[in-house]
Amino acid sequence: MTIQLGIFYILAVFTVWAAAVVVLGKNIVRAAVALIFTFCGMAALYVLLDAEFLAAVQVLIYVGGITILLLFAIMLTSRISSATARVINDQVVLSAIAAAGILVGLIYAAMRGIPALSGPPRLPETTPFLGRALLTTYALPFEVASILLLAGMVGAIILARKE
Amino acid sequence: MITFARLSEQFYALTAQWGIPWIVPTLVVMGIVVGVIVAYIAVAAMFLIWWERKISAHIQVRFGPMRVGGWHGWAQSIADGIKLLLKEDIIPARADKVVFVLAPMVVFAASLATYVTIPWAPGLIVKDLNIGLLYMVAISSLTVVGIVMAGWSSNNKYATLGAMRSAAQAVSYEVPLVLSLLGPVMLAGTMSMGQLVEAQGGTWFGFLPGWFVFPQAVAFLVYFVCALAECNRLPFDIPEAESELVAGFHVEYSGMRFAIFFLAEYANMVVVAAIATTLFLGGWRGPWLPIPGLPAEVSRGLFSLVWFQVKVYFLIFVMMWLRWTLNRLRVDQLMDFAWKILLPIAFANLIITGLVVTIWK
Amino acid sequence: MDTREAPIPVGTTVMMERTGETMEEMYVNMGPQHPSTHGVLRLMLKLDGEVMTDCIPYVGYLHRCHEKIAENRTYPQVVPYTDRLDYLASMSMNFGYVVAVERLMGQKVPERAEHMRVILAELQRIASHLLWLGTFGLDLGNFTIFIYCFREREMILDLFEAVSGQRLNYSFYRIGGMAFDFPDGWLDNCRAFLEWFKPRIPEYDALVTDNILFQKRLQGVGVLDAKRVVDWGLSGPMLRASGISYDLRRNDPYSIYDRFDFVVPVFDTCDVWARFLVRRQEMLESVKIIEQALDQLPAGEITAKMPKTIKPPAGQVYARTESPRGELGFYLVSDGSPKPYRYKVRSPAFCNLSALPEMMKGYLVADAVAILGSVDIVLGEIDR
Repeated sequence: MTIQLGIFYILAVFTVWAAAVVVLGKNIVRAAVALIFTFCGMAALYVLLDAEFLAAVQVLIYVGGITILLLFAIMLTSRISSATARVINDQVVLSAIAAAGILVGLIYAAMRGIPALSGPPRLPETTPFLGRALLTTYALPFEVASILLLAGMVGAIILARKE
Repeated sequence: MITFARLSEQFYALTAQWGIPWIVPTLVVMGIVVGVIVAYIAVAAMFLIWWERKISAHIQVRFGPMRVGGWHGWAQSIADGIKLLLKEDIIPARADKVVFVLAPMVVFAASLATYVTIPWAPGLIVKDLNIGLLYMVAISSLTVVGIVMAGWSSNNKYATLGAMRSAAQAVSYEVPLVLSLLGPVMLAGTMSMGQLVEAQGGTWFGFLPGWFVFPQAVAFLVYFVCALAECNRLPFDIPEAESELVAGFHVEYSGMRFAIFFLAEYANMVVVAAIATTLFLGGWRGPWLPIPGLPAEVSRGLFSLVWFQVKVYFLIFVMMWLRWTLNRLRVDQLMDFAWKILLPIAFANLIITGLVVTIWK
Repeated sequence: MDTREAPIPVGTTVMMERTGETMEEMYVNMGPQHPSTHGVLRLMLKLDGEVMTDCIPYVGYLHRCHEKIAENRTYPQVVPYTDRLDYLASMSMNFGYVVAVERLMGQKVPERAEHMRVILAELQRIASHLLWLGTFGLDLGNFTIFIYCFREREMILDLFEAVSGQRLNYSFYRIGGMAFDFPDGWLDNCRAFLEWFKPRIPEYDALVTDNILFQKRLQGVGVLDAKRVVDWGLSGPMLRASGISYDLRRNDPYSIYDRFDFVVPVFDTCDVWARFLVRRQEMLESVKIIEQALDQLPAGEITAKMPKTIKPPAGQVYARTESPRGELGFYLVSDGSPKPYRYKVRSPAFCNLSALPEMMKGYLVADAVAILGSVDIVLGEIDR
């Protein structure tokens, strides 16, 4: 049991528990707060995988931006604190089968060891590597993502404007 | 070179030699670090509260605390702290207890976590992460989450509105803040806080110290203004204003919980000033003299420690000065200012800096 | 005040209301205990998002049956009650009342007393405007201007305490003159204060007037154009901020105001900024008036020979004076007895406040505090 493995187990349990609260929680606000913990747990797991830049950006964007947005949406909906989310709905059987199938596939893949998934190269610093990659090899997806974001922003502004 | 990193590594090696499992020295070091940082925050916050009262008093032709503890009321903060500790812990009847209790913890934890990468002196950083600056900015954005949680869980319409205002303000001002920080990062070529200070050695034109504030004055001003907004200080203190219509996100908090919000605000101020000092004012750099009886490195370290504190507290003084001189911006004016003025300026600065750096190198 | 919408019970803090197919409208309650309503005023703001669509003031929390009480008091006994009308400008309230009674009686007042009246009334105007400026800045988040203004106001209050024995409700004016003469050294102290005060206004300018953040909060807010101002019957700085040059000290002079040379400040942007500038300039003009009155102060009696019981002849009078808030009117009906038959106060703040709903419509809720502050209300006078 190395340090990394021990920490990994702690973080994994924490993240999965938080995710379970998100999915199974009846109180929507508590679920949103649990989502924050889930994202933080994932950021910590990224650090374990040596993707420190990604971890910081995960916290900055997901926790600092998207969950705020989520909380805004929840708080601006009237009478939401009294509404309880339905945990089980009509598609529970189908989704259980699908989830179990994915789980089996993942375990199989982990045990078999898909070459493409075998451990990332240990880079001393991922940030310059990411920066260079985004602007050279992956420039097109980068720009397309920016345009998509722009479209989203413009759409949001138009929808929110009062005529 | 005596650095904290090497010292702790030597400590780990020593305990491994004695056969103690790895977990013990790790926890010991972590405990010491957290203890020192919390003690620093506590003392700094107490000092800052007293100092704020003194500064505001002298700006307002008054004296401020004069009696508690004798000389200029230095023990006033301690007395206030004891008072807050002894207050009744009130949780509103229909508040969401879990979130209500959790909110101040999140805010304080976020403030606390940013102290890890502050370079206090050469070699004295808890952990010189290679994404140090990004880490600090990312963790600071967690305070917004705590604020929203606080406002929501208070079961008070005004607190919720205040929290949302605060969140909108913080999120809006984060963008020009990060952009303005990228200028010095480009000049230094690294996001590591320790290396950012190292990169500010040398001089400009032979006589100005090699700080980044000189080529990046605009970025410094943008950063400073955004920092005021992130700390919810006047002129951006709508979230806390009592005379505005909405009272603020911490209106339902009393006693120790309120004290934690308060503490976190001052801790935040120190962090924000520390980032500004590190990136723009040369961090711990400053003239030093060898102290007889100590190795040169140690005396340099001591002087650097002092210089860092001097710069940080000077910036905090400016923040306090502004608070007691200016009035509040209206909410929409605040947003206008962030998105229509600060953001374009920050972008322009980024582009120009990028061009200059590319051409020069 | 619009009482159609009274069904909202006192004590409701917020109501979310869905009005058919229009957007969600919300009522937000400001007061009666609120740091910015300057007294026990309750404002019900109807909001559409951040924009105010209506504002319903609820007054009466400070009603003390002032006018009815006066019917059961002799004329001199009413004077202390007038102090408590606009308790921030007690001298002006006294002044208005005694002018009314003297006009009813046809009583002449000695010269020295007239000068004393003007000096004290103008000092009171400065004190009232200082308090207004301090609290106005405080509402907007500037704590320092509050302390600075109160520092000067304390000096004026010291002067008032020396002359009348009181810091707030002086009851100093008497029908036919004044209560006491100036104590020794008071005139020098007054001049010293004026010398101290003159460079203070530039100091305030550096802090607030020239501050772009301050200007941005006030310019273009709470606009009420000249026609509407006259329609609503506003007076005082509210009137002069909309371009109408009307000051009772100039247009309908009472006491000895026609002897003094001063400028009536008028600005025409009709917004909160103009009202701010009017009051600021009025302080400087009051300094001029006081200096002239001090120079012209004759020796003499401070009160005329008055009968033991003051029984004005039967008749009625409406006497108006310029209080710091506007046209203060006293309507007195006498039936020849020592007690007034009917006594009515035309309160400037009450009339100014009635225009508040129109001034608030269409502005952001964050401007509510600024607009309310610019009206300069005192609840004692509004509720009587």
